[in-house]
Amino acid sequence: MADPLQSILKVGAAGLEAQSTRMRVLSENIANANSTGNTPGADPYTRKVVSFESQIDDVEQTATVRVAGIDAATTPYKLEYMPGHPAADQKGFVKLPNVDVMTEVADMREANRSYEANLQIIKQARDMINMTIDMLRSS
Amino acid sequence: MSQLYLFALASQNNRWLSARQAAVAGNVANANTPGYKAQEVAPFEQTMSSVSTELTATNSRHMALGDTRRTGTTDTTTKVEWETTHSGNSVSLEQELINAGEINRSYRLNTSVVKSFHRMMLNSMKV
Repeated sequence: MADPLQSILKVGAAGLEAQSTRMRVLSENIANANSTGNTPGADPYTRKVVSFESQIDDVEQTATVRVAGIDAATTPYKLEYMPGHPAADQKGFVKLPNVDVMTEVADMREANRSYEANLQIIKQARDMINMTIDMLRSS
Repeated sequence: MSQLYLFALASQNNRWLSARQAAVAGNVANANTPGYKAQEVAPFEQTMSSVSTELTATNSRHMALGDTRRTGTTDTTTKVEWETTHSGNSVSLEQELINAGEINRSYRLNTSVVKSFHRMMLNSMKV
């Protein structure tokens, strides 16, 4: 069995990676909050949602995390009356992305908080490893 | 004898604390995983009592007697949670970080005790 302190670093890194993937998808959503199509009636950008799943590491027997998938949200598109827009249909309605910037920002906060928590755990584990090494130091 | 026992106790406690910290790390990493239940390591008293008598193999992951690398310290159970979110996740980041801090502090205490006793022993050997 591997050293638990080493596995903490691995678990923490998995957490950091998962949260940064989430952050990346959120930033894609925000960047594309106004991306419409350019042909009449075309679908605009669809909001993406990250889902996580826990995964048991066979060697360490600890629960790491990984991104289970990045899926398109199923919420309906917003419609806005903009005749003359390249993506407007016959009635003059343009489909806008189903991205709500407020939701994305709130989600970003949560991702940030989780990232910090993972970072804190890694720091503490590193501290513990250092303490063990320090036992050898004569002073 | 008592001093040697102290070293064994300290290292055993540290091993238990590392396993506990690993459980905390798993919980924090899964803080946003739907349906994840927070895990906890069995209390130290329990692992101590199982060590002093005989190792009972209640779990397939238990190792045979004589291998003291893993004296039942990583038996994780679902813990009493502070809150459960709508997604069925029972990890409370605050609780986990408090635990992590506490574990770190205990670990520091153990290593410091070992260090100072070691120094005492070295001093007694000096002229």
